[in-house]
Amino acid sequence: MAGRKWKELLIRALRLYTLLVTLITVLMIILGNLLDRDRIFSYDAFFSPLIYALIGTVAAMITHSDKELSVRDLIIRKVISLLIIEGAIVFIALNSDTIPTEKSWVLPGLALGVFAVFVLSHIIMYLIDRKEAEKLNADLSRYQEKQMNDHA
Amino acid sequence: MKLETRKIPESELEMVEIRYHWMTDEIQEIITFVKSRQGQLSAARDGKRFEVPVVDLFYAESVDDRLFLYTAADSYEIRMKLYELENLLKNKSFFRVSKSMIVNLMKITSVRPALNGRFSAILKNGEEIIISRKYVPALKQILKGGES
Repeated sequence: MAGRKWKELLIRALRLYTLLVTLITVLMIILGNLLDRDRIFSYDAFFSPLIYALIGTVAAMITHSDKELSVRDLIIRKVISLLIIEGAIVFIALNSDTIPTEKSWVLPGLALGVFAVFVLSHIIMYLIDRKEAEKLNADLSRYQEKQMNDHA
Repeated sequence: MKLETRKIPESELEMVEIRYHWMTDEIQEIITFVKSRQGQLSAARDGKRFEVPVVDLFYAESVDDRLFLYTAADSYEIRMKLYELENLLKNKSFFRVSKSMIVNLMKITSVRPALNGRFSAILKNGEEIIISRKYVPALKQILKGGES
């Protein structure tokens, strides 16, 4: 039971990480094209989405709980998770040579981008869960049918 | 307590007889076990005792150390622990969905995602219960025909 629980958590973390890498890359392409089109990066820039996604995943896992949380507690944890991510990304941006934080739109744009990725990742995770629920429903129907036939 | 078993011819009716001085929790547990083997649970509602058919049960919930059984429209209190009931009904399509609840899988209409990786189950009487994230892997396995 415990092994299955950890496996499930790991799968969820990996799924979130992959999703965040994709969303952050897309966000960087969009923001870069709109706001800082002429900037040229080295190959090191490819690490950025991987590092940012890791921060997002770690923040989500830190605020993860095995206990049954009420909706209120869940929202509080989500807000804490978002604040950790925003804080970490802003800290990295301020200490990075490649992010032009001297421009007034960069930090608010970055914060807004993080928020957009946060919301999008939750919507996509919900859609994945919905797909999983559809599979559970199909298995449940088969199970109920089998039980009824066995007891008929 | 003295235990006596006796082999009888097939023409005679099989029976369990319990002789007691006082109705204790221990005796009640034995009665509950025997009845559950026959597909019934002995539970109380408004001070009266009822024999509740297991197939009519929707779910059982533990609240403040008391265990309640829920059918489509009624609720009953049963004098046992949730884990004891869970063991008793393990092979009768009952499944642990949270720390305090077991549900009859035959009474679930559908499952849908709730918040944060949890799922909620809609029951045939319209009630909605939460399936905790940690029990979802075991649920998947049992629905595929494996043991939880």
